[in-house]
Amino acid sequence: MDFQSIKDLLQHCQDKNVNIGELMLETEAAKTGRDREDIFEMMKERLLKMKEAIDAGISDPSPTPSGISGGDAYKMQKYKEKGSYLTGSLMIDAMKYAFATSETNARMGVIVATPTAGSAGVLPGCIFTLKENTDIPFDRLVMGLFTASAIGYVIANRSFISGAAGGCQAEIGSATAMASAAIVEMRGGTPEQAAHAGAMALKSLLGLVCDPVAGLVEVPCIKRNVIGTSIAFTSADMALAGLESRISFDEVIGAMYDIGKSMPRTLKETALGGLAATPTGEEIKERIMGKPCLKRA
Amino acid sequence: MVFNSCFDIIGPIMVGPSSSHTAGVVSIGKFGHDLFGTAPSVANISFYDSFSETYQGHGTDKAIVGGLLGFNPDHAGIKHAFELAKQQKMHFTFQLNEECPYYDHPNTLIVQMKRGETEMKFGGVSLGGGVSKIFLINDNPVDILLNSHIDYDRIRKKYLPA
Repeated sequence: MDFQSIKDLLQHCQDKNVNIGELMLETEAAKTGRDREDIFEMMKERLLKMKEAIDAGISDPSPTPSGISGGDAYKMQKYKEKGSYLTGSLMIDAMKYAFATSETNARMGVIVATPTAGSAGVLPGCIFTLKENTDIPFDRLVMGLFTASAIGYVIANRSFISGAAGGCQAEIGSATAMASAAIVEMRGGTPEQAAHAGAMALKSLLGLVCDPVAGLVEVPCIKRNVIGTSIAFTSADMALAGLESRISFDEVIGAMYDIGKSMPRTLKETALGGLAATPTGEEIKERIMGKPCLKRA
Repeated sequence: MVFNSCFDIIGPIMVGPSSSHTAGVVSIGKFGHDLFGTAPSVANISFYDSFSETYQGHGTDKAIVGGLLGFNPDHAGIKHAFELAKQQKMHFTFQLNEECPYYDHPNTLIVQMKRGETEMKFGGVSLGGGVSKIFLINDNPVDILLNSHIDYDRIRKKYLPA
């Protein structure tokens, strides 16, 4: 049993009468011969590492070594304590946790790639927000990681998940689709609803280029992780309300692939275009990197 | 299919900041280390395309050296790989290039390494999410995924002089 498309995935779920997370766990057990309990524990270990990355990020108000980010998770925490926020407790927590994870990543701290390090803030941002704001049991959060991984697994094998190969749509787009589908299943939605949420989330981020200032995974990457959480929650709510994506998830993934292929090299993690090539972006690069220390061949 | 497990997507547990430009590169370096069974004494590293443009910001240079020293992607020593390599008397150089002539992907590198009389060259590609592949050993095209079991003895017999 394996799946190569969202259509396959949904068919298997229907045949076995399980949700996407459960199907991923069963598939992993069948492919590796490992016990389900061991696989569950491995995933739980990753969830605990995510929590450590969040805790490290929230408690650290200092700038990152480059000086161009850092301390924003801490600021969001202070803002929440004041209590006059607009979007609500749920979204403020998601922003805070996404910032915390991505700032830990920028400090070369330990994080869990979901699916990549550059997009590592979105999924933990959403998952720990549900933990904080609902009475969801811890094991269900672990199952949410299985749901997310199944979606990422299809995207990674059919398209791409790295900014260098497909632009930021492949990173934040994939992470947001994964998180959105996971939220739906953690809230008791059906596999079909999870797939619609994933499709709507990825559609919202199609075409997004990878243009990191000075080649650092900081500007604009960290704030894109934060914004990803709001798209994930919005798409999940739409799907849970019964809204559907007019374009199937598999076709959206196909469109992401085509767009990534036709994106110019300057906008695929080379730091040669987009925000990296703005006057401020160039100035930051000059300040941080100085003159190139290696001769080009 | 390149991505074979839920842990290829949720994972690796790794030192930041980039799964493709840091973690995936550590794995490529570790392949070289494990093939020699020890760190090389000399390593000449060529970065291509995206790697050669953004290696500093992503710590790609520290990642390859850390991998050649035998580190895993979550090793805290990656940050200090240059100092640790110097302590072990490992000499390394970098060369920056545009597109890779051997493999069509923006995240590619070639390592030429030496220890005693033994020399070898290998090419690695970081495919995203920390998953990498070796595509070249001593000018022979190969296809070795680093997220699966690797039979180093077989590879040594085939490509390394006895």
